[in-house]
This record gives sequence, C-alpha cells and structure tokens, in this order.
Amino acid sequence: MNVVRNAVHNALRPALRSRPYATYVPPASLKEVGPGQRPWLSSRQPPESPNFYTGRAEYYDSLNDLETSIQHTRAALTSLQLLPLPAFARAAIPPAQHVWQTKQDIIQRMRMTLSTTRYRRLIKLLNQLDQYRRIADVAGVDVLTERIEGVLSVFEKPNKEAILAHGKKKPVAFDDYGRTYTIGRRKTSTARVWTIAVQRPPEEPVEEQNADGQTADEEVLPQMESTVVSAIEYIPPKPVKVTSTNIVINNRPLVEYFPQLADRERVILPFKIAGLVGAYNVFSIVRGGGSTGQSGAISLGIAKALAAHVPDVEPLLQKAKLLRRDPRMVERKKTNRRKARAAVRRPCFHRLRRY
Amino acid sequence: MSLPAAHARLAARARLAAHARSSRATAAVPTAAQLSLRRGMSAPASDHPPLETQEDWTQFQLQNAEYESLISFYSDFGSTQKRENSFQPHHPLHRPTPGQSLTVSHLLAAGAHMGHSQSLMNPHFLPYAYGVRAGITVIDLDHTVPLLRRAAQVVRAVTSRGGSVIFVGTRPDLRAVVRKAAERVGERAFHLGEKWFAGTLSNRLEMFNLVRTEVKEQLIPDLVIFLNPIPNLYAIKDCSAHHVPTIALVDSNVDPRVVTYPIPANDESTRTAELVAGILSIAGREGVALRREDLERQAARAKKLQRVREAALSRGQPE
Repeated sequence: MNVVRNAVHNALRPALRSRPYATYVPPASLKEVGPGQRPWLSSRQPPESPNFYTGRAEYYDSLNDLETSIQHTRAALTSLQLLPLPAFARAAIPPAQHVWQTKQDIIQRMRMTLSTTRYRRLIKLLNQLDQYRRIADVAGVDVLTERIEGVLSVFEKPNKEAILAHGKKKPVAFDDYGRTYTIGRRKTSTARVWTIAVQRPPEEPVEEQNADGQTADEEVLPQMESTVVSAIEYIPPKPVKVTSTNIVINNRPLVEYFPQLADRERVILPFKIAGLVGAYNVFSIVRGGGSTGQSGAISLGIAKALAAHVPDVEPLLQKAKLLRRDPRMVERKKTNRRKARAAVRRPCFHRLRRY
Repeated sequence: MSLPAAHARLAARARLAAHARSSRATAAVPTAAQLSLRRGMSAPASDHPPLETQEDWTQFQLQNAEYESLISFYSDFGSTQKRENSFQPHHPLHRPTPGQSLTVSHLLAAGAHMGHSQSLMNPHFLPYAYGVRAGITVIDLDHTVPLLRRAAQVVRAVTSRGGSVIFVGTRPDLRAVVRKAAERVGERAFHLGEKWFAGTLSNRLEMFNLVRTEVKEQLIPDLVIFLNPIPNLYAIKDCSAHHVPTIALVDSNVDPRVVTYPIPANDESTRTAELVAGILSIAGREGVALRREDLERQAARAKKLQRVREAALSRGQPE
C-alpha cells in the first residue's frame, strides 16, 4: 500500500508544487510581513484566456470573437442605413449558401471535445454573420464584405467552392496562353482537344487607292470573265485572303489522319456552323474506336471549345446538335440471334410447301 | 464605409435647413411622400420597387438617410427629452454607474429591493429584510448600499495587489454582463457565463489537463463574484474549501453567511446584476490602474537604485 501511495505521490509531486490554497494574511498579522514580502502576490502568471475557468477556453474565445464581430457589423450596417431591413428588402437578399465545417472538423482543429449543443450555438452565430455579409455584398459595401469573409473563412470548409459547384456544369478554363482543354467522346473513342485562337499578324497600314479601286502594290489577282448579263452594273466582290489553320490529330495533320472526306467534314462542321473557319488552331490526342468514332469525338471537343471561346455561338451549335454527346453505342449481340438484331436464317416455308 | 450615404445625409440636412430658413413662418409639415419613406412601415410590398441592382440599393440607403435627417432636423423643434438624454435599456450594461455615485434610487430603479415570497425567506436573511409587501420580502436597501461599497473596496484592494477575479453569472441573460465586467477590469479578470464544473478548484489538474506537467499558471483565483449564487452553491463551497473569498448577490431565500461579502439584492433582475457588476468592475479597473502605477514606481525606484550602485562602483574602483 505504501509503495502505491509513494508512487502516486511521486507522480503528483510536480503538480503539488502549485499552492493548494490561497495565501491570505489577516490584517492583524500584517506587521509581521515586511514591505518586500507580499505573500499574496503570486509569482505565477494568470491564465491567458478570460474564458479559462469554463474549461473550454478556445471554444468560448471563438464564440466571444464572433459575438463582437456581429456587434460591430450591426453597428456599421445601421449607420449605412442597411439595418433594420423591411420585408421587401429582405426578399431581395440572395439565399444563404454556406458550407460550415462539421463538428468533427472543429474537434480536430481545436483538439477538444465539442457537444452538439455548443456546435449549434457556434453555427447560429455564423449564420447571423453570414446574413450580414450577404446584405453588405448585395448593397455593394466591399470593405465590410471582405472583413466579414475573413472572419467567416476560419469556419468554412476549405473546398467550399467545389462543394457549391457540385452537380453544376464546370466552366471551361482558359490557361495563361488562352488555350482551352475540352474532351469529346463518341462510341468508344475519347478525344482530348486543345484549341487556341489563330494569332493574326499585325495589319499593314492601308495605302492610298488608285482610281481603279486597287492599291498600287497589290497584285492584280486573276478575275474571271463575268457571265452575268444584267442592266445593273455588276461589281465583282474583292477576293478575301483566307488564313490557313492547323488541325493536328495524334501528331498528324487532319488530311493525313482522316483520308475519308466524311470524317474530315465531321471534324470541320462545328467551325462551319459557327462561321469561324480559319479562326482557331486545334491539337488533339484521340484514342479508341474507329474513324467515325474518333472524328465524332473530335467534333464534340471542338464544339465545346468554340462555345467557350465565343459564347454567342453556343445557341447555333446547340441547334445543330453538335454540343450533344451522341449516346449511341454498339448494341451487344444476343443469344439466338446472328448479331444484335439480325435473326438466324429461317427456312423458307412456301418453297417446302410445294412438296 | 459608404461615403455616398454620409454625403447624402449632409446634403439632405443642408437642403432641409435652407428650406426651413426660407419658410420659417409656415409650419413645414412633412409631406405624405416623405412620410412614406419610413423604413419598416407596414405598406404593401407592391408599393416599393424591387431592389435588383446596386443602384436600387444605393437609392434605398439614400432614402433612409433622408428620412433620418428629416427626423433629426425637426427634433430640434420638438421635446427637449431626446434619446441622448433619456434612459435606454442598454445603459446599465454599457454605461455603468460608478460606486461613488451609487444611491438608493439607483437600486430601487433597478428593482433590487424585490425579494422572494415571504414563506421562502431564509431566517438568516432577517437583518437585511425591510418588511413584507404583497406577499414578497422587501430587501432593505439602506443595508445594500454600504455592503455593495464594501464589496467594491474588496475588489479594488484585490486587483491593486495583482489578484485575479472571476465574475460568475450562469444564466443566459447574465453572460453578456459578466463578459463586459471582466473586459472592463482588464488584466487578471475572468468570466464564466456557463456552468461552473464541479472540481474546477478541487480537481483542477484533471480539469485543465495539467496532470504530470509543471504548473506554470496560477489556477486558484483570489476573488470570485457570483451574480446568481443559488444554482452555484456547490461552487461557493468549492471556493470556501480553497480559502477563496467570495462576493455574491444574496436574495431573501439565501443564507447570507455562505459567502464572505454578501450583497443583499434581487438576484433575478438583470438590471440589478448589471448595476452591481458595473460597480464592482469599475472598482476592479481602478485597482488595476493603481497596480500599474505601483509597478511603475517600483521600476523607477529600482532603476534609480541601480544607477546609484553603478555610480558607487565606478567611484570605488579608482580609489
């Protein structure tokens, strides 16, 4: 028994150095205490947080900070005539879209236990502050919005943007060089398509025109003999310089990779519909399937890229069904059939009946 | 913040002042259009244009600012009692009365004289009871005032010697009171608006995760103030077991001897708690200021002593 008690005492000895009682000197004994000795003056520092005696200092400090933020924000919004809001103005505020950290996240971060009641109390304050942030945001008070966002970001999930964008169409991202990366699929083919706008060389300065309507240095292009017979004077249109574009597929030019005209047309069709022939260069890596599948996949990738580069063109491509991933896949073969649908050869009964 | 709102307010004020100056003879009555600008008025939503763009919101803010400046301009011609010079419910918390100006009227206005039912009166409370009215014990405020000032003296004395104080108020309405009081005192002041866990003092090593570690902080406070002692009697016992002096607002159903410095007053009134916490926290703030002065004086004296010693040493060496 003594061994146990000694062991416990030894274990607690460093802790027992803390004074087990408050040092109080009654006034009658004060004369025995010299001016230099003040036993009531603790040599130790007091705890840092004013919430120390709650036992959950970090949590209550966060709560107090949020309450202070709410008070200051409320005062600021009141001075800006944004609070109290009447009903018609409250209806104009966008709905709440918050992604707060879960109870487990906060437990891990603060390294202490947290009950559901305390977690809900924290979330209630966060929701209130978020409402003020939305009011400030919609009224255009950027300074206040940024400050509140700084306070709230501590309690938001780090992947908040991704969670809110879940299920929505991801916008096509442009990189530093202005390229888009899109993916198209058709049958079992997958095409990875990089599209970049053609860099036009700087325009030469327009020179003075002669009486004929042609510039001095310009070559006289061959004009066809006009077959139009009409009383109205016919002025043939000026020939337009067409810039060439590069469409490279699996490191080969389009003409070489797709010898079939139908495949090449399928690849070019999005440009034709959008009226952007010659405006973009395309680099593609395509795998899987045959020529039809691969050309269809590249076509979809190009259509998506054009919709990203020139959003006005999107309705045209939608109408032409070029932005639709063709869901048709090769149907499986079934038993008792030659192919997916083709039946096995049946005997010809009317020939048999003759006999 | 938004400058347009402030500018609009000033412009509106200037316009109104000019208008009033020009038509002093005719009583300028606010028009129906101006009255309809009132925020929060129960007009149907169809009357208000929907707020869609930022310009709409700016217009809304300017309208509100105009209405406010209208009201504030005409308030100069109205009653002399205004918001600035009349009592507001947030004043006891944010503008506390100092102990030196405490009177019975302050306590009466805060409702500190109302005790509990006559049948629930603790016999040891009798010295502080004034009488009975409408079935409740009326607390004698002539005893409350000196006892409150004594408690304030204790707080000032403790804080002036670098002691730590805890303000305890475990009701929801007392949370803000104790927090404000602790912030007002400043250094070495703590607040507890939640439950006082049993074992905070008697089992403090486990409670604060300090078992088998060297304790660097002073864990036992030098003074604890309870604004609602009845649900915290076990905490008062804990404090007395560790020789910690306690101050508490004792109501008529409590034995005043449980605490070191009882203050007989109504413990159910938030305004009374705000008043008492305000007085004690102001005294605590004064004590902290005294301590700071004391330390500065000590430091100056030590510096002077050091200089004298150095001078003596430098003189002693060549000799």
